[in-house]
Amino acid sequence: MKALSGHRLRFAVGLLLGALVGVGISYLLLKGAQAREVQSREERRAMVSLRALTDIIDRIGGTGDGVRLAVATWQKSNPGLISIRVLAFDGISLEASTAAADSGDKAAPRRLARDEKSIFDRGQRLRAAVETNRDEGVSRKDEVETEKLPDGTFSLAAPVEKDGAVIGMVEITMPMSTNAPQPSILFALLCLLGPVIIFFGLSLVIGDRKIPLAIAAAVLMLVSLIGYGMYSVKTIEADGRASESAVARQITAQASDATSLLTSMSLDTSITPASWDADQFRLPRGLITDTGSINEATLAARNSDNSHQVRNVVMALIILTLAIMMLIGFGAVSHVFFTIRKHDQAYLYSLPAMLGMLILVFFPFIYGIALSFSDKTIYSTNKSIAETWVGVKNYIQILGDFHIASQAADGALVFNYKNFYWTFYVTFMWTISNVAIGVLVGLILALILNTKGFAIRPVYRVLLILPWAMPNYITALIWKGMFHRQFGVINMIIEMFGGQGISWFDRPFTSFLTALATNGWLSFPFMMVVSLGALQSIPAELYEAARVDGASRWQQFRAITLPSLKPALIPAIILSVVWTFNMFNIVYLVTAGQPAYSTEILITQAYKFAFEQYQYGYAAAYSTVIFGILLVYGTIQNKITRATESI
Amino acid sequence: MIRKILGFIAPVLLFATISKAAEIVVWHAYRAEEKAALEKVVAIYNSTKAASDVKVTTLAVPYDAFADKITAAVPRGKGPDIFIYAQDRLGGWIEAGSTVEPIDFYLDKATTSRFIPTTMEAMTYRGTIYGLPLNYKCITMIYNKKLVATPPKTSGELVTVCKKLTNAPAGKFGLVYSYADFYYHAALMNAFGGRVFDPGPKPVMNNPENVKSLELLMKWFKTDGIMPAEPSTALVTSLFNEGKAGFVFSGPWFLGEISKTINYGLAPLPTIDEAGGKPMRPWMTVEGVYITPGSKSKDAAFDFVKYLTDVPSAKVLAIEGRQTPANAAIYNDPQVAADAILKAFRKQVEVAIPMPNVPEMTMVWSPATTAMNVITKGAGTPKAAMDDAQKAVLASVAALRKK
Repeated sequence: MKALSGHRLRFAVGLLLGALVGVGISYLLLKGAQAREVQSREERRAMVSLRALTDIIDRIGGTGDGVRLAVATWQKSNPGLISIRVLAFDGISLEASTAAADSGDKAAPRRLARDEKSIFDRGQRLRAAVETNRDEGVSRKDEVETEKLPDGTFSLAAPVEKDGAVIGMVEITMPMSTNAPQPSILFALLCLLGPVIIFFGLSLVIGDRKIPLAIAAAVLMLVSLIGYGMYSVKTIEADGRASESAVARQITAQASDATSLLTSMSLDTSITPASWDADQFRLPRGLITDTGSINEATLAARNSDNSHQVRNVVMALIILTLAIMMLIGFGAVSHVFFTIRKHDQAYLYSLPAMLGMLILVFFPFIYGIALSFSDKTIYSTNKSIAETWVGVKNYIQILGDFHIASQAADGALVFNYKNFYWTFYVTFMWTISNVAIGVLVGLILALILNTKGFAIRPVYRVLLILPWAMPNYITALIWKGMFHRQFGVINMIIEMFGGQGISWFDRPFTSFLTALATNGWLSFPFMMVVSLGALQSIPAELYEAARVDGASRWQQFRAITLPSLKPALIPAIILSVVWTFNMFNIVYLVTAGQPAYSTEILITQAYKFAFEQYQYGYAAAYSTVIFGILLVYGTIQNKITRATESI
Repeated sequence: MIRKILGFIAPVLLFATISKAAEIVVWHAYRAEEKAALEKVVAIYNSTKAASDVKVTTLAVPYDAFADKITAAVPRGKGPDIFIYAQDRLGGWIEAGSTVEPIDFYLDKATTSRFIPTTMEAMTYRGTIYGLPLNYKCITMIYNKKLVATPPKTSGELVTVCKKLTNAPAGKFGLVYSYADFYYHAALMNAFGGRVFDPGPKPVMNNPENVKSLELLMKWFKTDGIMPAEPSTALVTSLFNEGKAGFVFSGPWFLGEISKTINYGLAPLPTIDEAGGKPMRPWMTVEGVYITPGSKSKDAAFDFVKYLTDVPSAKVLAIEGRQTPANAAIYNDPQVAADAILKAFRKQVEVAIPMPNVPEMTMVWSPATTAMNVITKGAGTPKAAMDDAQKAVLASVAALRKK
């Protein structure tokens, strides 16, 4: 193994593996892009045909012999189509069909059979989509559905409209073109092996010097990946142009078919063929004009979009591959490898735990973070994260919104309680005050309980631990009841002494106090138990010696008790800060954010974004920010106290 | 000859049917007698289908976990064939996709017309029917017979009676209900023709009718003084059980909490003089029976759904399960007609309005609760509070629909 550990070899291996990953991924992405381009080309061609036919059927009125005649003619002039079906909702009737299965006694027109429910449902889905988009004034539901069928064909469906209402559906089935062009393997191999061969040559000149070798390898990697990126851009552009001319040809052909059909049926022959090349919302793409020529400006814009995307991918790949190469080149990987080899048994034993952590902790965590970069809402649960990717938009919305307060007409400050910084401020105050109360009350009680010769101490101890032992949501609901305006015990006591009852949940401050009181009640027992344990472990001789030296009680407390408590209290405080920061139950149950979200803490606010507003992506970003805050807190806390080492 | 052929074929057929015996799984969240009644209906259905290949089994899922379980399991094909749930989540599930199967295709006039029409409306989203209604729940007027001889028919009468019954320092009130809860307030709001959404759905929280209804509520509370402050459900129960409340507006869930010592009666919510004598129209929740898209035997599942919502099943659910079926014909049954509670709810549901089943509804609750609190605590006028609520709902809806 010694002979292999030379820098030259390590960098060569790093370069090879890096280039393999980089060029490999680029190759696969390009292949995918080409296949998608061909598919979208076919779909657009099908879309043009479908929209042209729907245009005609709309004019016929959606039902009757005219529809059957039009469909038969259309099938004849479009031999590329496998079948055409027209559905009318009225009477659930299959108005026309050229499908092989719909012949003989199953020939159209007829009522749909019971096992043809999916056809009807599809039509209804399109109707609902058209109505939804129209009502909401947003295009968010597909008005033309494209579906890949298991037998390799695909089917498109579009709504038939009459007087603005959807009354049926046209469905066409087309074969999928299989001859997608492949990116050149030779060029990929050149980009992969070229740099390695050149590196070998260079390394003979450079010798076994680490830094120059690293620079040489990095430069070669850059050249290779950027080269492949430029090739990808060129290929995609060429494919795109081929698509445009194919669709343009289709538009011209279908336009002449449509015109002759409309003329023969003596219908209105004014058509706008360019509008047939539309997206799934039936909005024209504007890439091709009515006369069948390509709109160069739109195409150029699309090309520049594409090359931007390629550039982003190449950048990401460069970072990735350089990281791989450096890790191998500088020996990190071989180091890890030898460590695992050396302690293989230990790693084997911890493997199940690692897998468990991976599945139960890291996967959801990483998924959450990925989600935070998407725009997922309840409407887009079926879409993948990549489809709803919005980058850091959510974070900008959360962290970049500084409208914390504004001035009302009468000059008073009006806080925007849904603002992140307000909620953060509340959470901060909430954490500080809770932990302070917990530590103070807990410590005092612990000192009292630690008094020598204190009668029935165990009984007190159990009683004081009780608040902690009760399920905290029950405690929370009891406390909420105690703060009731009219029947709550707190107001009753206030009124008993002649005071005026308070509407606790009406003002942010009093509302905050109710939650604080509840959580204070819940948090002191923990601190008390921790302090009590630590107190009892302080040797009595220390106090004795202090007394002999003439130290007062306060001096004893400052010089002996507090320092001895430190190792136990500090980790408890750190933990308690994290718990309190994310204390969902109490805030959610006691104040519920009242009034108007003002007493919400970050975690309850995130919950409301996810499960009341259904903005999953935004809520995930919110949660990630919370994680970030706690991470920063944990790191700083650790650095200052080195507390974890004393546990 | 024919018999011979049959004798040969029958075992083969039998084998075939056994091998593909369709099990229809139903998920529900019922407990106690409601669960027993449902299981009885299933048992009867299975016995009638003993000869065929269909067998229905039920699984009770705890209510708090039920909706999440549906949301998580059904779209991934791990769900049941059928599930029973209220309509409030329906829109959300449909928008999320692959959770509820549209059943328009199976329906005929005879089936859809056997239900109380408004319950059918609750099962419809964007013009498509997604389930058949099983039971409905809505609030009605519950009164203490010892304090109230004849239930009032109009709001004027109600206020007069309540004023007599109210003695605030002694903690006695004429009318007690969770009026600060937007769900309960909806009854009054709907009497004025108020609403949360215009078609679209377009939020209209601050429409004049809603504001008018809130002004009347505040008149009852402040000017007439017939209602207590901060009426939590616990407070409503305790006042009614201590005989310190004449009337409660609440639903069937409240009946189980009434103490044995209270002799109570049910009557329809009064008409509102201020709304031109229109009746209070409570929001109704409808438990629907839905088929899932992942079901392998939708036809058979629909057959059971139809059976479950038919008269014989509805009778078992009503008499033994103490539920209020959505099937209209069941209320002609002498045994059901003789039941004062079922009769009272049937009368009330005539004017009830299904609670909106659109997913945007979830975004209404929080701002509406805030507004109700602001108004009932006198921290703002109804108009201003509802304007704020409208702003909040509009913002949430816009955030959801953005591209």
